[in-house]
Amino acid sequence: MALPLTPIWFIALPLLLAFLAPLWARLRLLLPLLFGAQVVLLALAAALVPAVRQAPLLETIVIAPPLGIHLHLDAVALLLVTLFHGAAALLALFVWLDEGVAHLRGPRPFVLLLLLVAGCDGMVLTGDLFNLYVFLEIAGVTAYALSALHRDRAGLEAGLKYVVIGSVAAVFFLFAVVLIYLQTGQLNIAAVAADFAAIPAPMQVLIGLSLLVGLGIKAELFPFNFWVPDIYQGSDPAVASLFSGVLVKAFLFVLFHLAFLLLADPRVAQVWLMGLGAATLLVAETVALRQPDLRRMLAYSSLGQIGLIALALGFTSEATTAGALFHMVNHTLAKLLLFLVAGLLIRRAASARLEALTGLGRQMPLAAGLFVLASLSVLGLPPLAGFASKLWILTGFAEAQVFWPIALILFGALLEAGYYFRWVKALYATGDAPVARGPAPAPARSAYLPLLLIAALLLLLGAAPFLLEADLVGAAQALLDRAATIEGVLGAQP
Amino acid sequence: MLDLLDSPGMVHTIYVLGSMALFSIGLYGLLARRHLIKIFIAIAIMELSVYLLFIALATSPGETAPILADGLTRFAGMADPVPQALTLTAIVIGMAVLAFGVTLAIHYHRLTGIRDIDAMTELKD
Repeated sequence: MALPLTPIWFIALPLLLAFLAPLWARLRLLLPLLFGAQVVLLALAAALVPAVRQAPLLETIVIAPPLGIHLHLDAVALLLVTLFHGAAALLALFVWLDEGVAHLRGPRPFVLLLLLVAGCDGMVLTGDLFNLYVFLEIAGVTAYALSALHRDRAGLEAGLKYVVIGSVAAVFFLFAVVLIYLQTGQLNIAAVAADFAAIPAPMQVLIGLSLLVGLGIKAELFPFNFWVPDIYQGSDPAVASLFSGVLVKAFLFVLFHLAFLLLADPRVAQVWLMGLGAATLLVAETVALRQPDLRRMLAYSSLGQIGLIALALGFTSEATTAGALFHMVNHTLAKLLLFLVAGLLIRRAASARLEALTGLGRQMPLAAGLFVLASLSVLGLPPLAGFASKLWILTGFAEAQVFWPIALILFGALLEAGYYFRWVKALYATGDAPVARGPAPAPARSAYLPLLLIAALLLLLGAAPFLLEADLVGAAQALLDRAATIEGVLGAQP
Repeated sequence: MLDLLDSPGMVHTIYVLGSMALFSIGLYGLLARRHLIKIFIAIAIMELSVYLLFIALATSPGETAPILADGLTRFAGMADPVPQALTLTAIVIGMAVLAFGVTLAIHYHRLTGIRDIDAMTELKD
């Protein structure tokens, strides 16, 4: 291959294609091209795995850090980038084969998907704070547009609410970046991390709080996540799956990456992040119990899982961090499947209410079966992937002799069982004959192909978690090893 | 006595107070106003206060633009160019997001006749 395989392609290729796409007139060739790009990016991520296992890749752009801008592809960044592209490729395949609702046809969703992936990749890869802000806004604006893809009342309302709350979060993040620059004169994250301890303590608190508010809103942590269910309910379920599966994971990574890098003593952040994670888990799972709308139930369930991941990541031990990263992968797969199946069910019933979906499992046995499978994975039942990652997290806490998170996670699983079985029971309920459904035809058989692929991945990762174990442990070490990251970046300057 | 106002410390204090006042006005507008467009204006004011703070604190009185022209041959007594470049970028991004938000608000108003954020009740528990 003439072009070198470097991390910059993860950002350049999707941006380039997304901006060129509107100029392309021949629709027949455009859709395969836009879908193919996702596959190419996934292949690129896979091709970089051997190199990154040896050492993290640093790509400087024009000038070396700390003055210039660089991309930092270490084990954890590669894991997330691979996850994003895998999820985006599966979603693009589904949207392409499904050809369902009108607002998801044509090139628009594919172009926005490319932009979103470019933004998320950039946030994970970049080593520069201001770049981070720009990518955060790219991902943000794309998410607003995706939310309002369907120009009906619910879609526009979701988009508007998302713009308002997202802009406020961005202001707080920018404020923190400005304060950091004024205090240290640096924007390179590693250089800022090296100087951060020298900042006066009250200013450190102010910066920390601004970052926490800005990124806490974006990463959907309690108490900043009041807006999330509205957005997930108003957006198309395929878009909601993307928010829950890709976007939140990117913001969560940014929050923890900055917390681990900036603070020399991670115990300061531990209290806050674990506390927020625990509160998110508990509140979301409790509220999910009584949701009458399938999309809202899934949104609260997603929040609960985000809380669980934050709780495990915040503990900063290697075992819980690796388990949390594994749980990120599993949650992305499971929520992708749940939201996409929910989309099919909702379209058939022309409603997302519990009453309307009653008995639908008999008309759509495959969809209902996949819904049950993904629910079981979220609950953490063997032999599904969710079990393997939850077990890993619980073992990590048990090894460290800390038991309250274990009790909390198990209690959360119990609540999850409560509300997921309520919906599964409704899907398979007998008695009242299914009412006349909307005019929506049954989805094309081929649309189930990506869904079955996700289900197969969930089964595979549950049955053979050791396939990923070495990479996950490597990723956890890369995320936690502050000194190596700083040295790797600042030592690279000539 | 008025020389005091020209000292960097005094100028910076004035700008910090001004930008804090702007931020508070924006935050108040965001929380207290219900009209969609007014909420977007409030967010724009909050952004503006951050830009002002950045530019004001990164430069001191008497510094010039870091451009070698008009007889200037050395980089001395010049302002740090990074904050200016970053603020320009941030202004562009902020304006784009604002335009997008206002577009959505106009679409929403045409569709439903609603411009009050409290009346947006399609998505609720």
